[in-house]
Amino acid sequence: MKTFDPVTLATPLFILTVIAEILLARFRVVKANYETRDTAASLVMGLFSTLSSLPVAGLTVAAGLWAYQHRVFTISMSSPVAWVAIFFLEDVTYYGFHRLSHERRLWWASHVNHHSSQHYNLSTALRQTWTGGVAGTWLLWIPLSLMGFPPAMVAIEKGISLVYQYWIHTEAIRRMPRWFEAVFNTPSHHRVHHARNPRYLDKNYAGILIIWDRMLGTFQPELDEEAPRYGLVHNLGTFNPLRVAFHEWIAISQDIVRSPRHALGWLFGPPGWSPDGSRDTSASLKAQWAARQEAPPERESVLVP
Amino acid sequence: MNQALFEQLALSGLAVTLLVGLAAWASIAKSAAPLDDARARRILGEEFPGKKLDGLWVAVDGMGALARSGGMALVLCRLGDGFVARQIPWARALAASFKDGRISIDLTDVAAPKAVIALPSWPPTGPQEQAPTKDWAA
Repeated sequence: MKTFDPVTLATPLFILTVIAEILLARFRVVKANYETRDTAASLVMGLFSTLSSLPVAGLTVAAGLWAYQHRVFTISMSSPVAWVAIFFLEDVTYYGFHRLSHERRLWWASHVNHHSSQHYNLSTALRQTWTGGVAGTWLLWIPLSLMGFPPAMVAIEKGISLVYQYWIHTEAIRRMPRWFEAVFNTPSHHRVHHARNPRYLDKNYAGILIIWDRMLGTFQPELDEEAPRYGLVHNLGTFNPLRVAFHEWIAISQDIVRSPRHALGWLFGPPGWSPDGSRDTSASLKAQWAARQEAPPERESVLVP
Repeated sequence: MNQALFEQLALSGLAVTLLVGLAAWASIAKSAAPLDDARARRILGEEFPGKKLDGLWVAVDGMGALARSGGMALVLCRLGDGFVARQIPWARALAASFKDGRISIDLTDVAAPKAVIALPSWPPTGPQEQAPTKDWAA
């Protein structure tokens, strides 16, 4: 059976635009940095992310169909109003998924690899998870089928959202027109999302529409005085895709083995949570940053041998 | 594996190879100048804001640095055109193995298991480089 898959259809566009971004940066037309091994890691992650979703693909399809069989309404795929509705509903679902993926460690373990590059270019967009299916976040979209949207319609809209989010992974575009920045997720908004500066942590979770962040208090504009520094709070010391994909899962396992009675905290606490508070979470990093802003500047005290 | 999936994977693999080759040819990584004292301090300041440095050792090849901040060692290591930073107890840094002009530090972190930094000698000598007092380690 032939299905309409926006991501598959857009794959040639992904390749051509990465080529274009590299060439334009090479000839200094636009700003972009590509490091060879970083690019290889991102693209290999993207290549195998499709394969890694196959083991649970049957389960996700079956769950969607089951939900649709128990639907509350029957919504036609040929209705333009239904497409408008699914556009907004899928996008707010994505916001919830994305926020959960940053704020709870179990799901961060799956999503962290997308943020593990110290670069921000179109290849970074392709650095996709290998463990999304296992993490079970696909369950968040099941209510849409329960409402009555056909699973194929949900899948198509998810694909459209993913393709939209591709082009915003670039430093080549500084700002879009003001009206566009107000409503849509843009390269500028998403640069903030990928930044590790404390001020920018856990902001701009949007998929297509930035309005959800504006409404729910997670919006942060990119500031000219503070350039984003990309990557993780504790950057990876490797380009090995296996370590990129699984390091946080392994770290969670190690923590649980070391301290099993805190298993729930290790799994469902925010990334950086620890029973004794000895590690940093986004919240603690932000608080420390805010305290430094209010404190008077100290004289530097550095001894250099 | 069905034929279509295999073809899709093979073509994608070819595309990945071409794109990585193009990125290598373009040479558009970030500036990768070796670390000097000032740059090491600036990066350590970004990675460990608010930490005072009691001592700083920059790698002879400029690919890393090690600093002491109270009872902690701040480790900076080049990765590609960026840096990886971790903090570990100073005592562990002092105990790190030193061979062929390189100190190999176990970071006990699955995301960054080891740091290798080229230094003229290790461990350092001098009062501020010795094992921390109880107050510092607190």
